[in-house]
Amino acid sequence: MKLLACFKVVPDMEAINSTDWEVTDSLSVDLSYVRLVWNCFDESSLEMLLKLSDLSEGFPALVNLWALTVGQKNADSYLKTLYALGYERAVRVEEDRDLRFCPEWMAEVISAFVKKENTVDGIVMGSVSSDGNNGMTPYLTAEKLGWPCISQVIGMEPVDDTHVKVVSQQDHGNVTQVVKLPCVFAVGNAPCSYLRVPTLKDRMKKGKKPIEYLDISQLGLKKEISGEGFVLTGLEPVRQERDGVIIEGETAAEKARILYQDYLRERLDAL
Amino acid sequence: MAIIGREEIVAGLKKILGEERVITDEQVLKESSVDRYRKYEQAMEVYTQPIPAAVIYVESAEEVSKVLQFANDNEINVVPRTGHSAIEGGLETALKDSVVIDGSHMNKIIKVDRYNMQVTAQCGVPLQALDDMLREQGLTTGHSPQSKPLAQLGGLTATRSIGQFSTLYGGIEDMIVGLEAVFPNGKICRIKNVPRRAAGPDIRQIVIGNEGALCFITEVTMKLFPYLPQNNRYIAYKLDDSQMKLGFDCLREVMVNGYRPSFARLYDAADAQQHFSAWLESDKAILIWMAEGAEGITKATYEGIKELMSKHPELEPVETDLIEKWYLGLNWGPENIAQEMEEIKATKNIGITTEVSGCWDCIYEIYKTSCERIANEVPDITMIGGHSSHSYINGTNMYFCYYYNVVDCAPEEEINKYHNPINQIICEQVIKYGGSIVHHHGLGKARAHYVTQEYGSSYYMLKTLKQAFDPNGIMNMGTLIPLRK
Repeated sequence: MKLLACFKVVPDMEAINSTDWEVTDSLSVDLSYVRLVWNCFDESSLEMLLKLSDLSEGFPALVNLWALTVGQKNADSYLKTLYALGYERAVRVEEDRDLRFCPEWMAEVISAFVKKENTVDGIVMGSVSSDGNNGMTPYLTAEKLGWPCISQVIGMEPVDDTHVKVVSQQDHGNVTQVVKLPCVFAVGNAPCSYLRVPTLKDRMKKGKKPIEYLDISQLGLKKEISGEGFVLTGLEPVRQERDGVIIEGETAAEKARILYQDYLRERLDAL
Repeated sequence: MAIIGREEIVAGLKKILGEERVITDEQVLKESSVDRYRKYEQAMEVYTQPIPAAVIYVESAEEVSKVLQFANDNEINVVPRTGHSAIEGGLETALKDSVVIDGSHMNKIIKVDRYNMQVTAQCGVPLQALDDMLREQGLTTGHSPQSKPLAQLGGLTATRSIGQFSTLYGGIEDMIVGLEAVFPNGKICRIKNVPRRAAGPDIRQIVIGNEGALCFITEVTMKLFPYLPQNNRYIAYKLDDSQMKLGFDCLREVMVNGYRPSFARLYDAADAQQHFSAWLESDKAILIWMAEGAEGITKATYEGIKELMSKHPELEPVETDLIEKWYLGLNWGPENIAQEMEEIKATKNIGITTEVSGCWDCIYEIYKTSCERIANEVPDITMIGGHSSHSYINGTNMYFCYYYNVVDCAPEEEINKYHNPINQIICEQVIKYGGSIVHHHGLGKARAHYVTQEYGSSYYMLKTLKQAFDPNGIMNMGTLIPLRK
């Protein structure tokens, strides 16, 4: 069973200085200095796959984990970490453009990779990233591949070569279902969502494997970003106000009488 | 150990302080039995140290005096505390039925003396609150440890703390001009605030760094400096991680040429990735300086350091905006601790630090050999690295940062399987090369075992001080001087 984890590294929003959140003419937040972290939902999905792999020990189903990211060189240390943790393939599609608001394009790249490889049985990724916040990539990827998509996944277990047991959160509680692969799994608020940490020895032993780099042309895609659904043209704060009435009156007693007669009596009678 | 029972201790304390300021809630007592030296046990909520009889809140030097007399008469071990941010076991209640004396209610800023450039404040004043207030008036204490959002003046003084701008302002021992402290027999001593005197030994230094093992600090007076952030200038270079020796030499070059930047740091690649991963290559170390103070001085310092570093082609300049913004978010507050605890529970991966110092001729060997030994000898290490962050004319410090996975081990065994062996390696290497095993966290109980090696023949002086001021052995026993087994 080959399962592909798709992940992003993103700026750690909690490490941004408070002054950088102040609105300025640039309408943007300076992220240039902010350290990178795993996108939290992707981190959950990467750990979930490792747990699934742990659980598959002794099962006939051999779980083979791959990791894919789209971005710049600064993601490479994260891919090496995944090698050290036991992922068998670590692939980076080289992109230096700002793709935060291009979920269609992301889905295009992921689905092109899966079609090219032709052996992936399932895709696991976070339901949303903290920088783009689109929440669309898993659904669009499933659509392009013609696969089903299960959202808000919080747990996975192996069943056999072609099935996994999946727990997902729905409005009325958790749903557990055995799912036939292939499928796209969008990971939501999973418990124990931190990714385990490889030892230095694992890094030395397994983390030196070369990362595979792909250009989008190798995936049969053109350089132009297709399906750019949204273009950010500006930002305006949402004005939130509540209606209010100032009760006029000569005395407090008079104001209280108006309050009771005009606003409270009917409500109190209805109780 | 106390010669009266737990109930009598609590009753005696309530008689002095009243019911409300004597806390015996079990959870509070458990959490007060340790500090962040045992943070894995804290995260797992496993408490292995003797649970204190009470945590008490004092509000004046006179109350401290009465409490200490009561403890002294009844041989009750007391642990002085303010911000509860200690990380070397200094706040552990090592003996049965100890009493934690918390000074955090003594939180009045008594006087800002702008003319004499000094501020007097009680022991429970949070440094962050004090410095924020001073900065609004264009002043600063110049003291800015990473624990600033948590730590309070009593603990900062007792542990001989140091801040990020120490290369200019010095450690707290250079900042305190006078203080008040209470000794185990109840004697309240005040050391007056003067610029300098030659009237015998500097007795401030008996109190500063005593770690609650000699006395309870109730009030301090610190120097003030003008706060001129508009003049700050940053300088930064990256270099190959294999060039760490050159990095130390660059720090040295700046110091021996007479420059006094407020901030002088060298991070190795492993540690740098924890801070600068957005833009720094994973195999690069980084050198940073900040010049602070009057405009003429910062300009000269900036230009002087640039000139010195221009002679090293191995150094590649870094955009200083990146450093300035990073620096603004460097401190460590309660929200960081809460998140860290959550991560430790989830991953069983824990990060610890150990800070040491050495002269220029040995600091690189201390750094290199310690890192190598830890990587080779300790199981389950996930990261080992560090940085130098406080430089002097004759040497610098090394702040080791290390992470490990806790594997096949109960929470109460973690400290002996990982943390203590790592500390031991670092201490062994430091002693071998002639440095100091503690730069600024204090000995606490974690490193008290090495005190005789650290002090050598001068241990006689420390031991005599302890015997003279605390003959009944009631002050934070096990800290500074280890308990006899």
